[in-house]
Amino acid sequence: MRLKPLTLALAVTALLGTTALTLPAMAQEQKTITGGFDVGPGGFQGNFNPLAATGGFTWLNVYFEPLVNYNADLTAIEGALASEFSVNPGQTEYTFKLAKETWHDGKPFTSKDVKFTVDLAKNGETGTVFAARLGAVSGVETPDERTVVIKLSRPDSGFLATLTKLMILPEHALSGFTPKELATSTWWATKPIGTGPFKFKQYVTDQYVELVADEDYRLGRPKVDRVINRYFKNTAAAVAALRAGEIQFTYVESDDVPTFKGNNAFKVIEGQSFVVNYLGFNQQVPLWKDLRVRQAVMHAIDRQAIIDSLYGGAATVANCGYVAKQLVPEGLDTYKYDPAKAKALLAEAGWDKVNGTKPITWLTYYNTPQAANVMAAVQAMLAQVGINVVPRVVDTPTYNSIIYAANPDFGQFPLVYAGLQNGPDPSGLNIGLNAAQKPPAGANFLRIEMPEVTKALDTALAETDQKQLSARYQDVCKAMNANLPWATMWVANRYGVASTKLKDFVWVPAPAGGPYNAHPEKWSVEK
Amino acid sequence: MLTYISRRLATGLLMLVALSMLVFALLRLAPGDPIDAYINPNVAMSQAEMDALRARLGFDQPLPIQYLAWLRAAVTGDLGFSIQRNGVEVLPLVLERIGPTILLMAAGLAIAIMAGIAAGIVSAVRRNSATDLGLSVAAFFGISSPAFLTAILGLYLFSVVLRWAPSGGMLTPGAPFTVGDLLAHLILPACLLSIGHAALIMRYMRASLLEVLNQDYVRTARAKGVKEFWVIIKHATRNALLPVVTLIGSTIGIAVGGAIFIESVFNWPGMGLLLVNAVDTRDYPVIMGATLIIGACVILVNILTDIVYAAIDPRIQVA
Amino acid sequence: MSAAAIQATVVRKGPIARALGRFALNRVALVGLIALVVIVAAVLTYPLWWSYAPNQIDLRALNKGPSASHWFGTDGVGRDVFARLMQGGRISLLVAVTSVAISTIIGFLVGAVSSFGGRVVDGAVMRLVDLAMTLPPVIFLLVLASIAGTGILPTILVISLLSWPVLSRMVRARLLELRERDFVIAARGMGAGMGHLLLRHGLPNCIDILVVYATLQIANAILLEAGLSFLGLGIAPPEASWGNMLNAARSTVVLEQYVWQWMFPGAALVITVLAINFVGDGLRDAFDPRSEL
Repeated sequence: MRLKPLTLALAVTALLGTTALTLPAMAQEQKTITGGFDVGPGGFQGNFNPLAATGGFTWLNVYFEPLVNYNADLTAIEGALASEFSVNPGQTEYTFKLAKETWHDGKPFTSKDVKFTVDLAKNGETGTVFAARLGAVSGVETPDERTVVIKLSRPDSGFLATLTKLMILPEHALSGFTPKELATSTWWATKPIGTGPFKFKQYVTDQYVELVADEDYRLGRPKVDRVINRYFKNTAAAVAALRAGEIQFTYVESDDVPTFKGNNAFKVIEGQSFVVNYLGFNQQVPLWKDLRVRQAVMHAIDRQAIIDSLYGGAATVANCGYVAKQLVPEGLDTYKYDPAKAKALLAEAGWDKVNGTKPITWLTYYNTPQAANVMAAVQAMLAQVGINVVPRVVDTPTYNSIIYAANPDFGQFPLVYAGLQNGPDPSGLNIGLNAAQKPPAGANFLRIEMPEVTKALDTALAETDQKQLSARYQDVCKAMNANLPWATMWVANRYGVASTKLKDFVWVPAPAGGPYNAHPEKWSVEK
Repeated sequence: MLTYISRRLATGLLMLVALSMLVFALLRLAPGDPIDAYINPNVAMSQAEMDALRARLGFDQPLPIQYLAWLRAAVTGDLGFSIQRNGVEVLPLVLERIGPTILLMAAGLAIAIMAGIAAGIVSAVRRNSATDLGLSVAAFFGISSPAFLTAILGLYLFSVVLRWAPSGGMLTPGAPFTVGDLLAHLILPACLLSIGHAALIMRYMRASLLEVLNQDYVRTARAKGVKEFWVIIKHATRNALLPVVTLIGSTIGIAVGGAIFIESVFNWPGMGLLLVNAVDTRDYPVIMGATLIIGACVILVNILTDIVYAAIDPRIQVA
Repeated sequence: MSAAAIQATVVRKGPIARALGRFALNRVALVGLIALVVIVAAVLTYPLWWSYAPNQIDLRALNKGPSASHWFGTDGVGRDVFARLMQGGRISLLVAVTSVAISTIIGFLVGAVSSFGGRVVDGAVMRLVDLAMTLPPVIFLLVLASIAGTGILPTILVISLLSWPVLSRMVRARLLELRERDFVIAARGMGAGMGHLLLRHGLPNCIDILVVYATLQIANAILLEAGLSFLGLGIAPPEASWGNMLNAARSTVVLEQYVWQWMFPGAALVITVLAINFVGDGLRDAFDPRSEL
């Protein structure tokens, strides 16, 4: 159909005029999904190096892929770049069959890349955070282009979980760099090459990252043309953008959820955080030496009331480090809310002589308003039975510098409010509770030395029979419940909100962002 | 004059060095270093790994050596790499943030000047009327309101509820650059930023104009039959502007530091946000580099202002 | 009228008394003063007539709107907003007044020593002041606050360290002019020490600058403390301060649905700062020797 020249001219002018003023996204013909993928505790804005990543895996997984990955429920590990994998009976040899895939620059993906990546990850000079976790790896063999065999010097039941975070990198593109150069290279943020469904287009510093579809992705060409990850200073800003229609998805604080419930334009996604919140007793101060004192703390806090009122019911009481049904045995002490019993226990333990009502610093790095409210509630409950705690909120660097100081001043953190990842791989708690993990070897900064707990953890980590694993972790749970190295509180849920315009969108509030098989190639958006 | 300039530049250079030492010392006093900022406490890491990372970045060296190494590199123009952002060099990063900050501050100041002067004139001319009272009260509220509160309320009202303006950022992500897009993103933060300045300018303008309107030459102009409009605009305002210009000049010097609250609420990629992020993550090279550059700008602007004053007013000696 | 009667009607007043007289005629300033007196009185005496405590949590009364028992409603943990408003007022005012007192003393001493101390001292001290002013306030604020941590004392420290340079310059300018006057030269000739010069000659001649500066700076300090607390530095919960109560407004839920939690501290902040600005302006006009009597 031919439009009359005048009509055409008018139409063009009108279009140009409106394009200059309206949000250009609407004039775009490309299908784009924009979201706040690095908002919230699981994200890591501005980090592009997967070897040095302690978070932000959800986004990294959109353009990089690991060998194996968690499924979207975080219940099992399945293949990603490895189409199949198997392990020998002694759990010392893992064999991976690799999928056929090309890198974003067209070169083929082979076993050489896997060997290269594992070697890089073990080399401390690259700034990697995997060096210790891959400590059991004794060698990587590449019998042919599609097969990789990784040998371990000892069984490591957390090995596959570690591999899910290790994004495979291209040997042909990175072999030219020395490991030291890689750590500070601009390659990561300017032209990284991965195997994922989307490839890197550009990063506008501190503003957003843009990816475009990888046409020949092995699982099918992605349904949308672009995915954009917008950075926000805090969750509230992301929520504002979501409500203004500028982004289609973001993580939200649980306090923000009521705004979106009942609104047909949005869908609320709820998931377990896999982080157990606890009051950590510093074993180096005399305050908590008596078990009765620790038990009194558990009895004094009405955890269910806090969950009901401050979490809106969206949390599960934790009586040990785990809440997953298969990891919690029968017969645990539930430490019911009983202030009278707490007072009696304190009197028995001679609390008045140990400390009395002197203020106890309660250190934390949680600085959300909800956490502040929770701490205020707990403070009031403890004050009722005669324990006077004073919350002290500091930012993450300050917190880390206090607890990991070379010669720590234990008086600065007699009690902490913290969280530790307890899943999907339950061995995550080991680093914080095992006596052998005291700094500098591990993250047991409270210097917990409880033989029962340590023994249970060691046994569970060394267990090679998959069927017995749950029973072993149940023993860990029992030991924690009886000895109370921590006053375990709860495992809260985390939330994300997505616009209903998004179809087949998968997101789970996994700790550190996962990763997990979200299948970004299937995501689509309707106008 | 030349000796004066060179002396000021030399002192300025010394001050920059002193400034960098001061900031370096303060930073090291602050608890936590970049590695501490990097670790998410929920996903623990062992201390041995953290120490290895520290050694790689040179933080295990004694402090004076670290400072001298930085100074030596800075003199050659190498301000190092940002720790938090892989491999991004500090100098280009900082320079690329000055532009947006200046844009925001200039827009805010322009709006403030226009609104403030206009309101000041109207208020002085209609002294003690309802208009004057209304404008004065508005000005007082402008001075007394905390910047972050107006920013949040403004954002909520104009962006989330009315959808008249985008909710943050400088440009729409992924879209090609258009001036219209930039203006759409600029207008709300600039307006909110201008509130405090406009109020102050309006009050100074009003006070100054009132004083001028009582002068003899104004009375003469009126007696000569000049139209009231021209009396005010041509004769009175020009003379009343002097103290206002001084006020404006003094705000420009600090403008490069950015308006942290506005930039933080609107995620505007300026110096203020850069510094807040850098301090949050203890990104030492970025903080040192940004301080150096901002300090240099402030010193240069001060020198320029003094020279301009000396040039204009022959009574001022620059000895 | 006899000469004696006329004599009696002419009351001899000193300059400060005259200034206060001018102040009393300024209606706007008086309104501000009255508002301030009411606010300070309420804030200081509230435990006597208000039944709730600022840190009393009540998990069954979360986020309730204003009602007969909770005039200003409750916050996210069931604490009474009115009580927290009063307590927050105490803390905000305490921090502001103390930090201004400290920065006034520092500013005066630095400016005075610089002007009376001779050329070398003057040069060195002024370079230091320039250095303090060149430092971008953002960096100084954030770094100092992260060193000092949160709490009342650190916040007072941070705010006082930020504000004294400007005062020292004004004091120096005033006293430089004074230095050449006869009575000062005479005093020095008679062997007066620095302390005597500062207190007997310097201070009385700077009172007007100091008073006006201090008053207006209190308003600034309140806003600065609110800003710091808003950023998460400054005063941290569960202590109440107007700034950290406003922090709740960051969340859109609170902004929309629990309006009382931020509107009252916001209003209190604006009204107090407004009143102080009125009083400060009134004082400036009153002390200005060129004003009409």
